[in-house]
Amino acid sequence: MFLQLLVNGLVTGSVYAIAAVGVSLVYGILRLVNFAYGDMMALGAFIAYFANVTLGLPMVVAALVAMVGMAVISVALDVVLWRPLRMRRAGFMSLFLASIGVALVLRQAILLVWGPQNRAYDVDPFKVYVVGSVRLSLAQVVTIVAASTAIVAIGVFLARSPSGRVMRAMADDRVLAQISGIDVNRVILVTWIISGLTAGLAGVLAALVQSSFDANFGFQLLLPVFAAVVLGGIGSAYGALAGGLVLGVATELSTWEGFAGGVDPVYKPVVAFSVLIVALLLRPQGLFGRARVV
Amino acid sequence: MSVLSSGEFWAFVGVMAGIYTLFTLGLQVQFGLAGLLNFGQVGFMAIGAYTMAILVVKQGWSMWLATPLAVVAAAAAGVLVGLPTLRLRGDYFAIVTIAFSEIVRWVATNEDGLTGGSQGTINLSGEGVATQYNGAWERFQGWVGDQLHIASKDVVMLIIVWTAALVLLWLTARLARTPWGRVLRAIREDEDATASLGKPVFRYRLQALALGAAFAGLAGCFYAWQFSFFGPDDFQPLITFFGWMILILGGVGRVWAVPVGAAVFGFLFAATRFFDFPPFSYLDSADRAYVRLMVIGLVIVLLVVFRPQGILGRRDEMVLE
Amino acid sequence: MLLEARDVTKSFAGVRAVDDASLVVEDRSITALIGPNGAGKSTLFNCISGFLRPDGGRIELAGQRIDRSPPHRIVRAGLARTFQTARALTRMTVLDNVRLAAPAHPGEQLDGLVLRRGAVRRREREVTEQALELLRLVRLEEHADALSGTLSGGQRKLLDLARILMASPRMILLDEPMAGVNPALREELLAHVLELRATRGITFLIVEHDLGFVMQASDRVVVMNEGRVLMEGTPDEVQGDERVIDAYLGTHA
Repeated sequence: MFLQLLVNGLVTGSVYAIAAVGVSLVYGILRLVNFAYGDMMALGAFIAYFANVTLGLPMVVAALVAMVGMAVISVALDVVLWRPLRMRRAGFMSLFLASIGVALVLRQAILLVWGPQNRAYDVDPFKVYVVGSVRLSLAQVVTIVAASTAIVAIGVFLARSPSGRVMRAMADDRVLAQISGIDVNRVILVTWIISGLTAGLAGVLAALVQSSFDANFGFQLLLPVFAAVVLGGIGSAYGALAGGLVLGVATELSTWEGFAGGVDPVYKPVVAFSVLIVALLLRPQGLFGRARVV
Repeated sequence: MSVLSSGEFWAFVGVMAGIYTLFTLGLQVQFGLAGLLNFGQVGFMAIGAYTMAILVVKQGWSMWLATPLAVVAAAAAGVLVGLPTLRLRGDYFAIVTIAFSEIVRWVATNEDGLTGGSQGTINLSGEGVATQYNGAWERFQGWVGDQLHIASKDVVMLIIVWTAALVLLWLTARLARTPWGRVLRAIREDEDATASLGKPVFRYRLQALALGAAFAGLAGCFYAWQFSFFGPDDFQPLITFFGWMILILGGVGRVWAVPVGAAVFGFLFAATRFFDFPPFSYLDSADRAYVRLMVIGLVIVLLVVFRPQGILGRRDEMVLE
Repeated sequence: MLLEARDVTKSFAGVRAVDDASLVVEDRSITALIGPNGAGKSTLFNCISGFLRPDGGRIELAGQRIDRSPPHRIVRAGLARTFQTARALTRMTVLDNVRLAAPAHPGEQLDGLVLRRGAVRRREREVTEQALELLRLVRLEEHADALSGTLSGGQRKLLDLARILMASPRMILLDEPMAGVNPALREELLAHVLELRATRGITFLIVEHDLGFVMQASDRVVVMNEGRVLMEGTPDEVQGDERVIDAYLGTHA
């Protein structure tokens, strides 16, 4: 049972991790807490639904369509909204509130087009893989494979590629990075593209794992993702990855009977938040964050 | 279009504006005065509403006792939330407060025995027994109506809510001008400088959070009376976001801007109901609801871009950043 | 002795910013704390004033231990500090800035506001008078009702001084008071420091790079380098000391 929960946790955690990287990069480089990210994940999931169920395309293609679609929307939003706000030197609160407005618009758009009913992808829900004492659904296997690939790709990109290194530099110390003459606009473009790709992928994977989803599931996903970002330390992409995995695993394992009977599975979101709060009490800057200097 | 001229309808809008005024006044104290990013305000509202209803229905308390206690409970929740979290940086605090309000909603949904579960307070006395906590309130409402010779329940409610709102607005405005308010404003601008002058920053922030939470708790009680039953889904984060929108719309930092923001917001929200012209006339009512919220979202974005100081704020005094 | 710091250490990310530093400040003295950039002066300052918690060592004010206390309690114990850049509260008036610093004001407590309205009014009157007097001392009284954001940099330094005096401290930590200050203001600040020591018996510990000021104003000088206290003595003793010259030259090489 423990192993099963651990694996479930890794599945959930890897989805959180991918989403958290997208949120974290945008925050680190643009100083924007993107509240619309949850609904972007949902929109990604619905675009994939359209491609997979309505158009009959295979799931892999549908996922790619969703990822590309969300990347395009992210960049478009930057042109239409975030860039004008940057030019007006909008501060943290303005950006936060604007992202709430965008979230509202996105959610209602999804509801207008697809309505409030639950949806599901055209995948076989009964296929089960058995590895030792662990049973994995097709969705979980797909998620593990896709998520691991994505995580490795992101990790390598950030560590090795020139763009990635520049992004880490900017997230770390923006002023210093700007002084060293990097092309800020290009970095911002790449950031939004990655953010859109991760939102699309995370949304599709989450929808797959949940097996059925509705227009509101993006926001429900967003809070644990934010928790993962904060847990890992805002501004640290690696921290976000770690935070996502830790939170996913902790949430699932908390229901194990070995932990004094285990938590009622209904309360899993509460566990996620509790982990966050406790972690912040012990280390207010998050796992990988920087301590405050007066 | 006959509803447009219906007094009852606009009285209802006015009541909601009054409830939101109380709710947002709490945000004004927390953010406008103290600089706290509380995005979990709806959680305190829920605690106020549920505490009042549970005490009246399950413990048989009088509404007149239950209500002050509900407000105190909301304030106590503010203290409990603030103690572990107020030392965190602003954006972390914001996220943790959202987590808090979702935890409240989650508990309300799942602890059927305590709260009636997802069906709401109708189930407070157990399945199948429809419960009301509103008896005393209806009597009070009737009494006020008799005294004022007003027949309409909604208008009476309007008067009661706005009387409470105006009293609290006046008190808050005065509070802001006291030395206590002065310390908070200083903390908001520069907490280190304020600490270096001997002020216990944490304690003041905690007080602001608790006071703002108390306002939300009272708003919750009024909400409960207005609708005579409620459930966990009445307390979604969207409510908090509406509150923030009202705060910005009116102008941050100005107490009397809150009712203005609430009135304009209420009007906007209600008026979008009556878009009976194309393309809206092609949509069914569910879709229209979506479009209305979309409009709200767009208005938020436009406000932030074009007039972040709100209706009554001044550009140079802008406290939004 | 009024202030004693013993074997204070503070590290950041493995680097020892303050390394077993000890110093003593005598009552009613003006002590300067000097050293090249990165010597640990600001970190030690922050430890003494409660904005950083030292990893090791002990700091006592008039025999009372303060190294574990938060800043506001240290101020109440009688030790106040300024910051390198004058931290005027720009969205408040000059008068409010000074009134803010008044200790023991019942109007700053919620229960006081409700239950002790008479006392609140009286204290506010007292505080306002005292604030105006302090503003007169620094020649800012005509700006009393202006937003402090409208003041010049030099005026803000004077406001800092008036504000900190409002808190009635026994000892004041000045963090580079001469930084970016024109000669006229420099003389004025110097005169204030000397006068405050003479008339109010206030003790000063001043971090400063302006060696002229140090020579003119201080009774004793403490020299820090690389987190440690290199030496301490009278200004003359310090000026001629080989180690001090090496320390400064070393960082300019």
